[in-house]
Amino acid sequence: MASYWQQWVRRWRLSEMRLLFLALWISALAVAAVGFFTDRVESAMERQASQVLGGDLVLSSSRPLPDEYRQLATRLGAKMAEVVSFRSMLSVGETAQLVQVKAVSTNYPLIGELQAANNLTAAGVKAQLPASGELGAEPRLFHALPAPVGATVKLGRSEFILSSVVTKDPAQGVNFFQLAPQVMMPLADLPATGLLSPASRAEFSLLFTGSERVIRELKASLQAKLAPTERVRTLQEGAQNVQQALQRAGRFLGLAALLSVVLAGAAIVLTAASLVRHETAAVAVLKAFGLARRRILVDYLGNLWFLALVAGILGALVGFFLQTLLAHWLVQVVAIELPPASWTSAWVSIVTALVMVTGFALPALLRLLDTSPMQILQGSLQAPTALVGVFMLSILPAIFLLMWIQARELSLTLWVFLGLLVAVVLFWWLAKLSLNGMARLSTRQGWQGLALLRHGRRSLLLVVVFAMGLFTLLLLTALRTDLIGRWQASVPADAPNYFLINIQATDQANLENFLKQQNIQANLYPMIRGRLVEINGQPVTADDYPKPEAKRMLEREFNLSSFAVFPESNTLLAGQWFDANTQGFSIEKGIGETLGFNLGDRLSFDIAGQRFTETITSVREVRWDSMQPNFFVVAAPGSLLDKPYTLITSLHLAPNQPELIPTMIRQFPSITAIDTSAVLGQVRSLVEQATLAVQGVFAFTLVTGLLVLWSALQAQKPERQREIAVLKSLGANSRSLRRRIWLEFLWLGGLAGGLAGLLTLLAANLLGFYLFDLGLSLNPWLVILGALAGAGLVATAAWLNLRSLLQVVPMVLLKT
Amino acid sequence: MSENNRVIVASGLQKQVIAPAANNASEILSILTEINLQVAAGVSVAITGASGSGKSTLLGLLAGLDVPTAGSLQLFGQELTQLSEDQRAALRLGKVGFVFQSFHLLEHLTAVENVLLPLELAQVKGDLKQRALTALDQVGLAARAQQFVTKLSGGEQQRVALARAFVTQPELLFADEPTGNLDRHTGQEVAALLFRLQHDYQTTLILVTHDESLAAQCNHWYRLADGRLHRQESV
Ligand SMILES: Nc1ncnc2c1ncn2[C@@H]1O[C@H](COP(=O)(O)OP(=O)(O)OP(=O)(O)O)[C@@H](O)[C@H]1O
Ligand SMILES: [Mg+2]
Repeated sequence: MASYWQQWVRRWRLSEMRLLFLALWISALAVAAVGFFTDRVESAMERQASQVLGGDLVLSSSRPLPDEYRQLATRLGAKMAEVVSFRSMLSVGETAQLVQVKAVSTNYPLIGELQAANNLTAAGVKAQLPASGELGAEPRLFHALPAPVGATVKLGRSEFILSSVVTKDPAQGVNFFQLAPQVMMPLADLPATGLLSPASRAEFSLLFTGSERVIRELKASLQAKLAPTERVRTLQEGAQNVQQALQRAGRFLGLAALLSVVLAGAAIVLTAASLVRHETAAVAVLKAFGLARRRILVDYLGNLWFLALVAGILGALVGFFLQTLLAHWLVQVVAIELPPASWTSAWVSIVTALVMVTGFALPALLRLLDTSPMQILQGSLQAPTALVGVFMLSILPAIFLLMWIQARELSLTLWVFLGLLVAVVLFWWLAKLSLNGMARLSTRQGWQGLALLRHGRRSLLLVVVFAMGLFTLLLLTALRTDLIGRWQASVPADAPNYFLINIQATDQANLENFLKQQNIQANLYPMIRGRLVEINGQPVTADDYPKPEAKRMLEREFNLSSFAVFPESNTLLAGQWFDANTQGFSIEKGIGETLGFNLGDRLSFDIAGQRFTETITSVREVRWDSMQPNFFVVAAPGSLLDKPYTLITSLHLAPNQPELIPTMIRQFPSITAIDTSAVLGQVRSLVEQATLAVQGVFAFTLVTGLLVLWSALQAQKPERQREIAVLKSLGANSRSLRRRIWLEFLWLGGLAGGLAGLLTLLAANLLGFYLFDLGLSLNPWLVILGALAGAGLVATAAWLNLRSLLQVVPMVLLKT
Repeated sequence: MSENNRVIVASGLQKQVIAPAANNASEILSILTEINLQVAAGVSVAITGASGSGKSTLLGLLAGLDVPTAGSLQLFGQELTQLSEDQRAALRLGKVGFVFQSFHLLEHLTAVENVLLPLELAQVKGDLKQRALTALDQVGLAARAQQFVTKLSGGEQQRVALARAFVTQPELLFADEPTGNLDRHTGQEVAALLFRLQHDYQTTLILVTHDESLAAQCNHWYRLADGRLHRQESV
């Protein structure tokens, strides 16, 4: 037998083979491009998140950390920095100020850069750590003291020069509610200050970065050794606001990628079916000549696998190139540095091509093998139709596998898979219903134009395929718009950039007045510290919970509040918000899940020695990225005001009001103002990255969708060519043929688009609700828009694809 | 005719099919009722009959492309009715050639590649390309060897099909209306070529045709009617 290569080259001449290649190549390309791109954006986002954390893994303790840990990290090859932070008094002459001292080792920060300025008005630039004998401090320290840059200050037993204004400490986000202004000093200078006695309260941290494997090993080894005072944090447990945005973006990207795979899968199935139609005669002839089924199978499979391999490799290469272009362009638009892509996506795209050809082409191929050689003697050749059973056993698992490879999340895969199944069945059924209706209508006077939809099976297939494609695009558009709008709304330009805490109850009225005079909008929330002691009358302690985050919550005091107006950044999930007469607690959903209580349970807090017990009357979802004060537990308005409390608020300060905070602090000395613009900036750039990823992935999916449309048309080309030849031989002129094509596809596209819009309406609401925490919205425009877009898109694509067929000479009829 | 040089021995062959009719009903259609036929090596046998009389069905049975409903059939001394589809195929490999009414050349292959096909399938050793070109030369198409078959005329395509059928020098050749799709003149040319090759290679030939003048050139002539073969004396 001729070599596989020779055979392959011969079979390559089949237009179906080339089409199959195209479809495989496109899906490999889409998978690779989406994969490479999301990979990069995801690692950019992770990097951002670990920057907030200070490292990929952070080990902290209230006791000095043993050298054993440092040696362990060095042995595993992790990079390490060390931070010791504690509170102390810093004095200039007669004035003293409570500060948060952060003593850092020389290689701090591990991720991101430190920015500082030489004076209070200059913008920060990348800076070195303070040299020995020097301190860097937050702007508010200079205001609070007040002292100029260059002043000599005393910290413990040592004297330092306040040498720089630290404008950005990349790892500051961790400790959001830091009371005192932060001062940064070299760790080497710490012993000389004599500030750290064994009894002093300080947090000792080791920050680590390293490859995923190193961090994983390090975490495992550390966790085995941890003393009770020590704890390990990684990215997953990092700042909540960052995590929520990451999660949503990740879900969208996953969804987009797997929908584009399904789209490409549709193209493969179509093309494989048309390959089988073409090859039926060849297989019958081969069988007549005496070839066994096994050899035919091996031969075709070998050919197809080789095809898939080449398509996969080429797809990965071109996908990489495309992604580079896109990233390059988007980086210029939003100015974000993307880390390099990893090669995993190349493998994924090659595997995808192989799975696709096996799963999608195999059932058709197996049926092809059953072609009776007898057919060759009978006039017409009947292409075998795929069995439903084979379809179920091959295509469905293949789709599922591909989705799983893409999403790497079983539950998401499962849901989308089921959703798609339901969608296909619904589309099939609705399309059949509509087409039958139209066919019946076409027999009536004045509706003969619809006659060209009577080609039942062909039209049905096209409508279902088009509808699936349009559905995917519409769904992603709807979600993308919601998602991006929501993100951008979450960090608006006037998002609060200062937190004011420690506001004394006696200052409340005056402060509100002061802020009103400055035209600043701010809600003051009371803040009461309390320890959770009982749930439903049963005492609770940290030991009752195995989960570390639950333990941590119970070891600390909660910040409780009580207020009347439901916060804008929250969503009520269950129960009722307080009205004038009700009592009770409103809890945040997550804390209830962690500590195991819910609506109707009774919680008891110990507040300044007094017991305070209420029933949970509502559950809220809190958007942590809102930059507003948020509380895990809120009591009914006024109910806690007999307890000792302070107030907290957040406000937005324009850059042209630099004097406001110092003035306010002078007037209300107890207030601590925290500049959160650095954190805000980080959240904002995170949102930018997520938006970027979503836009980019959407663009790829759009292209995949269009190409599927194209291959569906391409697969029917031979049939349409014969049809046009017949029509021509019957005397149709090219004007009427043109009209025919446009009309048919305007109808088909409109029908498909309308159905797609309808289903999008349902699915977007379901998905938005369950996956992305978006509210419900019913938009009938989606259906109308879908129909119009479908008609336009499909008819244009069909015209471009089929235009060349109008040149066909009816002679072809005599040839076959 | 001695026992061992009989290529085909058919006795009591029947073929019934279940033909789907309207209203989802189906009826049993008896195409062949009783076929008895013995064909010795090297002879040519013609089968004629009205359209729809079952000629192609019989040809397919004799070649082992399909199995009879009843009766026994030996091909090259092997009882075909006992064999699986693949075993029947193996029996044909390299030993049986076909010529079809509508040629059934593989469209994406060139003329020479079509002729190469059976050699490659039978895993014949040697310079296959040369053998294929020689076969094309014998049918007068050496000059068109590298062309795609779709570019050739009907007569030329059928000549490629003849080259493809004879290139393995098969012991047995089945031809179903080889001239049916050709005009009279071209048909005669192709038929002449067929008989010449059959004579040169001493191939056993089963020829189904409408053309009585073609049938008359064969050693034996049977007419198929009412599902039976009737011996027809050449005029
Ligand atoms: N699988 C089948 N199912 C139903 N009917 C069949 C089947 N195979 C053959 N027939 C019928 O059996 C009859 C004989 O068919 P066959 O093709 O053998 O005729 P033929 O003699 O070759 O005709 P022609 O000269 O037109 O080629 C026809 O009526 C045909 O419709
Ligand atoms: Mg026939």
